[in-house]
Amino acid sequence: MTVATAKSWPKMTSREEFRFLADLILARSSGDETTVMLHDLHSGATRFANNHVIQNVDTRRGALAVTVAFGKRHGTASATDFTAGSVLETLARAERIARVSPEDPEYVSPPDPQPFAVWGTARPETVAAGPARRLEYVNEAVGLCRMENLMAAGVVSSSVSSVGVASGNGLFGYETRADARFSITVHAGDATGWNAAAHRSIDHLRIQERTLTAIDRAKRSRDPRELPAGHYPVLLEPAAVAGLWTWLVRALDAKSYEKGTSPFAGRLGKRIVNKRLALNNSPDHPDLLGVGFTTEGLPSGPSTWIDRGVLKQLAYDRFGAKAHGIKVIPMLDAPVLSLDGAASGTVQDLVKQADHAILVSNFWYIRSVNPIDLTLTGMTRDGTFLVERGEIVSAVKNFRFHESPLRAFQDINAATAPMEAVTSETGKMLVPAMALPKFHFSSVTQF
Amino acid sequence: MGTPFWEEFADLALARVRAAGAEYGDIRIQHSITEHIRGEDRRIASNRNLEDSGFGVRVLYHGAWGFAASSILSLEEVPRIADLAVEIAKGSASIATEKVRLAEEPVHHDRIVTPVRIDPSAVPLERKTGLLLEAMEALHERPGIVRSSAEVWWRRDRKRFESTEGSVLDFDLLAVNGAIGATALSDGRFATRCFNTPHLRKGYELIEEADLLREAPRVADEAMEKVKAPAVDAGLYDLVLDPEHLSLTMHESCGHPSELDRALGYEANYAGTSFLTPDKHGTFQFGSPHVTLVADNTEPETLAATGYDDDGVACQRWDIVRDGIFVGYCTNREVAPKIGEKRSRGSNRADGWGSVPIVRIANIGLEPGTQTLDQLIADVKRGIYIEGHGSYSIDQRRCNFQFGGDAFWLIENGRRTHMLRDVIYHGITPEFWNSCDGVADRSFRRRYGFITCGKGQPGQSGWMTHAASPARFQRVQVIRGEGGS
Repeated sequence: MTVATAKSWPKMTSREEFRFLADLILARSSGDETTVMLHDLHSGATRFANNHVIQNVDTRRGALAVTVAFGKRHGTASATDFTAGSVLETLARAERIARVSPEDPEYVSPPDPQPFAVWGTARPETVAAGPARRLEYVNEAVGLCRMENLMAAGVVSSSVSSVGVASGNGLFGYETRADARFSITVHAGDATGWNAAAHRSIDHLRIQERTLTAIDRAKRSRDPRELPAGHYPVLLEPAAVAGLWTWLVRALDAKSYEKGTSPFAGRLGKRIVNKRLALNNSPDHPDLLGVGFTTEGLPSGPSTWIDRGVLKQLAYDRFGAKAHGIKVIPMLDAPVLSLDGAASGTVQDLVKQADHAILVSNFWYIRSVNPIDLTLTGMTRDGTFLVERGEIVSAVKNFRFHESPLRAFQDINAATAPMEAVTSETGKMLVPAMALPKFHFSSVTQF
Repeated sequence: MGTPFWEEFADLALARVRAAGAEYGDIRIQHSITEHIRGEDRRIASNRNLEDSGFGVRVLYHGAWGFAASSILSLEEVPRIADLAVEIAKGSASIATEKVRLAEEPVHHDRIVTPVRIDPSAVPLERKTGLLLEAMEALHERPGIVRSSAEVWWRRDRKRFESTEGSVLDFDLLAVNGAIGATALSDGRFATRCFNTPHLRKGYELIEEADLLREAPRVADEAMEKVKAPAVDAGLYDLVLDPEHLSLTMHESCGHPSELDRALGYEANYAGTSFLTPDKHGTFQFGSPHVTLVADNTEPETLAATGYDDDGVACQRWDIVRDGIFVGYCTNREVAPKIGEKRSRGSNRADGWGSVPIVRIANIGLEPGTQTLDQLIADVKRGIYIEGHGSYSIDQRRCNFQFGGDAFWLIENGRRTHMLRDVIYHGITPEFWNSCDGVADRSFRRRYGFITCGKGQPGQSGWMTHAASPARFQRVQVIRGEGGS
């Protein structure tokens, strides 16, 4: 196998280089306030389908953005060219925009300088990974499928980024972040099974284990039975739970709350889901993708959003937080959903306890139907099964659901401890698998 | 066109690809400028001017792909990236059991420029922000409007494509869009109504012609009417769908299934596959005889009418569905031969220099019929007229879909009456298109563009335009968008 050698790797923008670029811009800016943001990304992905590599890509993209403010007039310009001439031209563009922009009553000065926590966002094994490592993982996954005479499609990706923020008031943050991802869909004839992982460490993708699970789901998905739409007890695997909670988290926006256009309107401090549920942000968790600071230079840290089912926190922007005299807490970047008193069992344990339920591996194409009550729709995908008397008895044709997480997560029969979950539509979360007594499937598809 | 040294950099990269023994290679060098001014609640919340430049080299070596890209355009970086693309392709080849074979395409030398009457970059920023602020004020003049939005967006792409086969293509393309929206609050309930110009390859004249200030009072009034409207009663309704609404329905239920890479399983792990499998090609009754869907990447001003795609294949016009029968796919040079087609349809596109091109939906549009909109409505006893985009979701093979909309009116005994809220309709794609019993004539035809069509891993955003005249569909299942019981 050909190996792309280390000399092929680009050198990422270092802390010292970012400080040099930031100082260059800040020293020459005519603005009252200036902020410089760096996002220098080196990423690669090896994509496969029908057991073949169909894409094998490596991209380096550096981006530098400058925001300038004159009083409450502000403008932003960015460029991917880091030469001195381009950087200063970017500053000039931001200044031109800011000068002629109308005053923004919600403009807030850059955050004060403050130390940022270091969460171990750049694991060296991921930083060092390249096309050869990704190809090795693809080969492993495809090999397992070929041995079973099955077809696979999926992707192995890894990336490293240098991220920075600096302002004229002394604010400075720099962080190297790396992550690796794997997802696979196995075809057993017309049936499919899926699995996915994302982690700061490429060593934690667990290719073999994930592939074998996808293979098992694909095999079990053969000959699906068609059940009528309706309300069913469900066993939601972590990916399915994450899909629903992603929408609940997005709805925690404080501005919508204040304007009365939030599903939580008037419910801050009140119970919104089952009283045993808690939602926390844990950027220091080694299995999550937490960051040290946000794009605008706010520190990320542990925070509680839902406690014993009660809504405790909304995501204020800095203007909203200032107006209400509260400390601004950025939106969750490392969510952990947990159920008090949940057993530390597995999905299989939930299956054994279930008398009659639909087991959902994953949801797909989740969209809002009604923002007033947070009703969502979406499809089950790549592994949907009927459970009877503690056993999976057959696959079922995929359902469309019509349900609000604010209704569905009021009653919970059982749950596991939080587990890793990531889908193509969600960020990485830790959530339990859950058994819910009632979930609304509104229609059925043809497979 | 382009910037100094693009030609030299392209020659340098392709010389190394050739010397490495690759059977094919191409390079795209691109410089893009995006301006996005976004207003929210009577203020300009964001005013951004983004420049994005770089290049990508694609290599086919022993029948396997490699791609590398960088935002650093320099004498050191260009050969490094070309060599890396070759190296990656060799890695892909080392485990390949099937070789990619590209469909033939003539060598092209051309230059494509979007005709523009008013260059948006030459329009003073104050004029654009002033328009948005004025539009939002006009929205808030109506009592009950609690939130507003307004935006202007444009993007200019200058690009050079060169291939080892000898094609050299230069592009200078522009796209523009504007939009306003109002959210009304009443009795603890809220509803939003929007107005969008289509995304089109035109200059700032698109914004001026759309006249956001003229539209604002109507948008605000309809937001108020919508929030106070009665909820729909679930049941079977005849639906009359406006062109903007249809653009999304066509995109999701016809556009994506007609992408051949999906039908062949390339997207199985993400965007999904297609119920329009190759065995259905040429025979499958996709819709009623009223339904003819044509892909046209040659229609001026549309997003996919770029002259050539990112395979260097000339843009074309072809049938996807003719008189109800599924007859054509969107293809690229890699997948076209897999169904025995000698030439690609020219639908291979990347969303920038840093992405590898993949098969994309073309400008697929519904061919006009013979009726007027009033005639379509006049024949409806119990129906709903739907405008604009709302909630949408579809399964990974594009069979079971569900759509909302931006505004709904009840039709009773051939007359459009009052607004409704919470209208959701769902169905199975071919059953739905087979229920089409009328399409309005060409005078009602409108075009709507998409710039956020998600596909691929890593994810990319595709651009295309869908045109239609209003169309009628019989006995479609409508439910109330409240979930639960």
